[in-house]
Amino acid sequence: MKKLTIFLAFLLFVGFQAAAQMQITGTVTGAEDGLSIPGVSVVVKGNATIGTTTDIDGKYSLTVPSSAEVLEFSFVGMKKTEVAINGQSVIDVQMEADVLEMEQVVVTAFGIKREKREVAYQTERVTGEELLQASPDRAATALAGKVAGLQINVQDNGVNPNSQILLRGMRSISKGNEALIVIDGSVASTGAFDDLNPNDIESINILKGANAAVLYGANGSNGAVIVTTKSGKGTDKFTVGINSSYSITQVAYMPDFQSEYGTGWEGEYNPVENTNWGPRFDGQLRQVGPTFPAGYGLATQMVPYAPVENNLLDFFETGSNLTNTIYMQGGSDDSQFYASFGDQRAEGIVPNDEYRRNTIRINASKKIGKVEMAVKMNYLTDKTDVVGRTIGDQDRPLYWFVLNTSANIPLSTYSNWDDPLDYGYADNYYNAYYQNPYWAIGTNRNIDYSNRLTGNFSISYDITENINFIARASANNTWGNGKNWRARQTYNSDLQSSHSTVSSFVEDTQYKTENYRGTALLNGNFDLFEDFKLKAIIGGTATSYKYYFNYIRANNLSIPGFYDISNGTGTPETFVNEAQKRTFGYYGDFTFSYKNYVFLNLTGRYDWTSTLGTDDRSYFYPGVNLSFVATDAFEVLKTGDILTFAKLTVGNSTVYNDLGIYELNESYSQSAGFPYSDINGFFLATTAVDENITKEKLNTTEVGVNLGFLQGRASLDFAWFKTVTTDLITETTSSTASGANRYLTNIGELESNGLELTLSGTVIKTKDFEWELSANYFSNETVVNDIYEGLNEIAIYTTGQFGVYAVKGEAYPQLKANDYARDPQGRIIIDPVSGHPTTKDGLQSLGKTTPDYVVGLTSSFKYKGVILSGTMDYRTGHVYYEEGSDAMEFTGRSVASVSANRQDFVIPNSVIETSPGVYVENTNIPVSGGNQSYWTDIYNEVKSNYVKDATALKVRELSLSYELPKSIIGKTPLKKVVIGLVATNPWTWLPEENRFADPEFKTQTARNGAAVAANAVGIGGYMESPPVKTYGFKLNIEF
Amino acid sequence: MKNIFKYIYVLMAVLLLASCDGFLDVNTDPNNPTSVSPNLILPVAQKYTANVIQCTDGGGRRMNHVGNLMMYNWSQTDGFSWYTDESKYLVTSSFYQYIFENSYSNSLKQYNLLTELDPMYDYYKAIGQIMKAYHFQLLVDFYGDVPYSEALLRGGNPAPKYDDAQGIYNDLIVQLTAAISTINNAPANVVTVGNDDIMFDGDMMEWKKFANTVKLRILTRQMSMAGRDAYIQAEFDAIVAEGSGFITSDVGVNPGYLEADEGKQNPLWNMMGTDASGTVTMNNNATCATDYILTYLQGTNDPRLNFIYEEPEDGHKGVPQGLLVYPDDYTFEYVSNIGPGILKSGAMDAIIYTLAESYLNQAEAAARSFISGSAKSLYEAGVQASFDYLGAGSASSYYGQAIPNVGWGIGDDIETIITQKWIAVNGITAEQSWFDYNRTGYPAGLPISLQASTPDRPVRLAYPSSEISANGGNVPSQPDVFSTKVFWGN
Repeated sequence: MKKLTIFLAFLLFVGFQAAAQMQITGTVTGAEDGLSIPGVSVVVKGNATIGTTTDIDGKYSLTVPSSAEVLEFSFVGMKKTEVAINGQSVIDVQMEADVLEMEQVVVTAFGIKREKREVAYQTERVTGEELLQASPDRAATALAGKVAGLQINVQDNGVNPNSQILLRGMRSISKGNEALIVIDGSVASTGAFDDLNPNDIESINILKGANAAVLYGANGSNGAVIVTTKSGKGTDKFTVGINSSYSITQVAYMPDFQSEYGTGWEGEYNPVENTNWGPRFDGQLRQVGPTFPAGYGLATQMVPYAPVENNLLDFFETGSNLTNTIYMQGGSDDSQFYASFGDQRAEGIVPNDEYRRNTIRINASKKIGKVEMAVKMNYLTDKTDVVGRTIGDQDRPLYWFVLNTSANIPLSTYSNWDDPLDYGYADNYYNAYYQNPYWAIGTNRNIDYSNRLTGNFSISYDITENINFIARASANNTWGNGKNWRARQTYNSDLQSSHSTVSSFVEDTQYKTENYRGTALLNGNFDLFEDFKLKAIIGGTATSYKYYFNYIRANNLSIPGFYDISNGTGTPETFVNEAQKRTFGYYGDFTFSYKNYVFLNLTGRYDWTSTLGTDDRSYFYPGVNLSFVATDAFEVLKTGDILTFAKLTVGNSTVYNDLGIYELNESYSQSAGFPYSDINGFFLATTAVDENITKEKLNTTEVGVNLGFLQGRASLDFAWFKTVTTDLITETTSSTASGANRYLTNIGELESNGLELTLSGTVIKTKDFEWELSANYFSNETVVNDIYEGLNEIAIYTTGQFGVYAVKGEAYPQLKANDYARDPQGRIIIDPVSGHPTTKDGLQSLGKTTPDYVVGLTSSFKYKGVILSGTMDYRTGHVYYEEGSDAMEFTGRSVASVSANRQDFVIPNSVIETSPGVYVENTNIPVSGGNQSYWTDIYNEVKSNYVKDATALKVRELSLSYELPKSIIGKTPLKKVVIGLVATNPWTWLPEENRFADPEFKTQTARNGAAVAANAVGIGGYMESPPVKTYGFKLNIEF
Repeated sequence: MKNIFKYIYVLMAVLLLASCDGFLDVNTDPNNPTSVSPNLILPVAQKYTANVIQCTDGGGRRMNHVGNLMMYNWSQTDGFSWYTDESKYLVTSSFYQYIFENSYSNSLKQYNLLTELDPMYDYYKAIGQIMKAYHFQLLVDFYGDVPYSEALLRGGNPAPKYDDAQGIYNDLIVQLTAAISTINNAPANVVTVGNDDIMFDGDMMEWKKFANTVKLRILTRQMSMAGRDAYIQAEFDAIVAEGSGFITSDVGVNPGYLEADEGKQNPLWNMMGTDASGTVTMNNNATCATDYILTYLQGTNDPRLNFIYEEPEDGHKGVPQGLLVYPDDYTFEYVSNIGPGILKSGAMDAIIYTLAESYLNQAEAAARSFISGSAKSLYEAGVQASFDYLGAGSASSYYGQAIPNVGWGIGDDIETIITQKWIAVNGITAEQSWFDYNRTGYPAGLPISLQASTPDRPVRLAYPSSEISANGGNVPSQPDVFSTKVFWGN
């Protein structure tokens, strides 16, 4: 260490220069955010040889001849600023952003600010203002469509939704593909990002790809989302503000259903059926539900045999979302603070679904002399109270019960489920097989409380003018508990002969995660010799992760309505799960520059991890990047005022993924049901582990071009990247005959290629009117080059009839399903006896589940204080599995099921194989069971019927806001008043063939109750409630 | 400010210290051990044996179910779409695929761990060998060629080759002989097996008898083949010479099943009986007798009728398999659901080999003169054992009737034995009667499902889709499930 200090000191002295008569010092800060700007060129006007650059704190010191009159401050992305000296010895400057070039300053790894010109990889910045345009309650959803290569998948639409953040597609089969989240310089988590109050966010920098994030180690291989929260800088006065929004949530669209046939079975009317295989609607008054005996107090229910418009839609309510944030901030040069309190109250579209959360943030920093200390703390507490997911005697989710209501049933009239003399009551409900969803809401609840405390404490010390030391300790801890219960329901068997008793249970869960992280960094800027400079970072990080979870379940409760474990009978089911992981790493990042237009960046990191074998747990990974600002190197390239900035970058880096916690060793677990009295039993893991398993390697090459036009009024960013992943740590499916279901080993090679293009600029700019437009394009394909000898595919998730796979030679992730056998002309080959289609052996590859390309468009119009802005995106070229409509085919509400008027029919464009390879068009052999069984038993078994085009065009956000002019609020104590109207997902276009649900939805829990792997993108939305849209207004007041 | 430097050095020192290996030695799973003793492995294996014969705790259908449905014992109650694929004989790669998968990855995996133990665990090792033979025979009976010699190596071979069915059968006899020898030649310090053996409570004499009875099943299965008589005779002679004999009671698994505990019920009861609160399950309501089996039992004055099938208030009523449109009054209160002789209690043993089958197999061996002894008395002992299991009292007046396939000597002896076995294993280990049917064609005149599109029932299962995707290089091409019999059926 000492040697290094000496070396750094040496470097410092090399760069030392001196001369002349008068010394001027000062600090350069950004006018917009108040953050200091390092690397600003400060020169005497008319004598560019006398100059310096600001240090990492934005400070400069320059000795000038007494003849000097004006200092010139210049920095890419900022307007050139001139200040008259007039004998001042301290000149502090606030530089204003050159419109659209503000983003030329990049917050890189560890929160270190760099000029975009020296950054040799692709980054994009989203300001807090852009993020908050439509008052989102989760930051992730507000990023959708705004950044090239960033794909936000909102995977359900609950009151507290899950989202997945993918940068540049997918590059690993079993390891995570989600971007790393860094908040205020410390690695956090997607959960911590979701738990942030979006109002607290100052800006988000997206570092795309591994090259940008290599310094974060394994976790950085998927790129990083660098979140900076508000600090209070740049606000010389105390400011108190309120951000409020209120919005309503509505079902955006329901699945397309047939409305020609109603309640029945095999073509016959049946008053108690959940299915729609009855006769064609005739409008006659008919009995539904059980026949009540005389004197029952309720007449047997009669409803017209006709479709009830919106009968399922009307079950859903209009949800609401009220958020309020109060914030205070203030700051001077050496101390700042920001504090906020947030409150969100949401009601879902499912009756009684509620979510409530509070967030508290306190950020404070103080600088005394060379030392700055800062604390950033955030606390979240929330409560989610939603309907349970294991309803009825078949443990089904709620939407199942809604969708199992036939078309002629006025579902919304059954809401009085607890009145014994109402048709909604369990014994009286029309449906003999599935319960009343209103009953489900009242008798199944899932209530979760969670908390998250994130803290980030840092000390920064300026060892010398050019060398700075930062130590940072952070914690990201969560804890919570939940209760899930179901009430017992028995039935009067005279009225409900088919219903089984629904058993009762109560489940209690508790969890805790602790993440601690310590980082120390030395950061120096050195002038090596004439025109050569070095910016160096060396540092180390140690991390510790701990997880704890426990679960207790008691069944068959004794006292109705009392949901405590003590109320159960039989042995309670319990388990505890704990995990621990530690890592540490050292790294260095050296950027050599020549004349401020060639930058060579060398990075290296050495990591140790607890999850690999003792002789294999350390590894080194290097990165090299080159950036070349052509417009500075060759003045001739500056074509007048048109092309004003041109940068080329090229880079290559390597990152490794390590093994999951405890995956290294095969282990035993207590077998289900055990212990029986004094007999205990343990079961060997279903996954076999390769004894030579090692880390997974990702190598990324990236080439980029960044062009600025018209002094930054327009810009074009382009990048091509290629990631090759080898030694993939993957659970392959092994033959069960091997005694294991899966085999964890290193396999093959994945290659991902992609392009990114972002074009943005100010289209029109007049004194009062401005039109800004930003368009981004992203395309990516990942191909499985190799698996291993004898194995051609790996199932990420499969039911045996359909699934998501990695298939050798094909794009990943690939959707496979069983499919019709077809002749060379593509006609369906039928069985000449039954008329039924035949299927090919095994599952067929039917398309990839990530888009071929994504186009995002963000536009805003400003006229005086009025801003109209919107974001939309278009994704196409991918497919998804419409699991909901597959599961619902048997109810006879699918549009397909009426395509032949419920008659036996000849499959259009079908053939008979008369002899091998000879196909004759089928004109006369119809399918049998066209009134029902063809659809439920034949059509439903060909799973390619449910593989749908996942193309979607979505308007993600629209907002109209108005900032009251100073002329109105000038005489009030108010500093700022903004009012606005906002909408999220107001409009979605989906292709004709896909009218069931949002293709972005992903099934989290399969029909058999198993979890669906995170990488099984494209298994869509089993029993998620329908997609929603929101409308609302927002208000921002500052005092 | 100089202090700051000190802090920096301290911090750096801490980071360097962190590099000591101890900091990273936290990769031991606190919830899951990496090795366990054999007494914790055996009961799990045996419990899974019961699950793959009967059904899983969660209600997954396995061997007994497919046997009952293929052999026309069970049908579907009005109001349920329960046995759709079975009614259509839709034997695809996803039809009962868990019979293949669970046999290997649940039971055989655990038994195989026992066979790899040191000599001091020879008793456990022998049990592992015997139960492996028991399972591999069933796998061959359902699928023909299956992975055997390269199976169960886990990471050592994730895609094992398929072995010839006849070759596997031959080796199973060898392995069973070896297992008996392992028991007889165990070292003095052998660890005795205790109540963790949830089949025989550690009684190694019983294990030797069971080994012989598994051999009996293997040999019986080959009795219709041409050219096997000498081999079968030699192996029977070896069994007789060994001298331990065959089982003397029904072989079941019972770790301590509890009726009043949802997670600890006998699996068949859990699926087909009641839940812990006594509520009858949907599976019970959905499943009923066929009209044919009721008529058959009534027509032969079989006292077992009310034990195999529950008599409804209005008298027995069955449903033809594959019925699509039900007449009135075919809901579960009106039809004959599974009876109290099959569903005795939530704590009953899960049967994996009936005493009746053992006697009836011996009767066939005697009738074919492979063993000495009276085929008639072995036959009658078999029928009595079936009565005993069901609680139906004395069988003598039943088998004393001069009705073909009831009284001995009235019709063809083999047909009589096989037909009685069909009744004896009904609802218990019904897969055995399906194998017998494929071998002998008995019981004669058994109807097929109304939804069948073929003239007769399937003769085997198809290889599961998991094998096609994970072991595609080895799995044989899918056989015709209606015509490609397992070798012993030819």
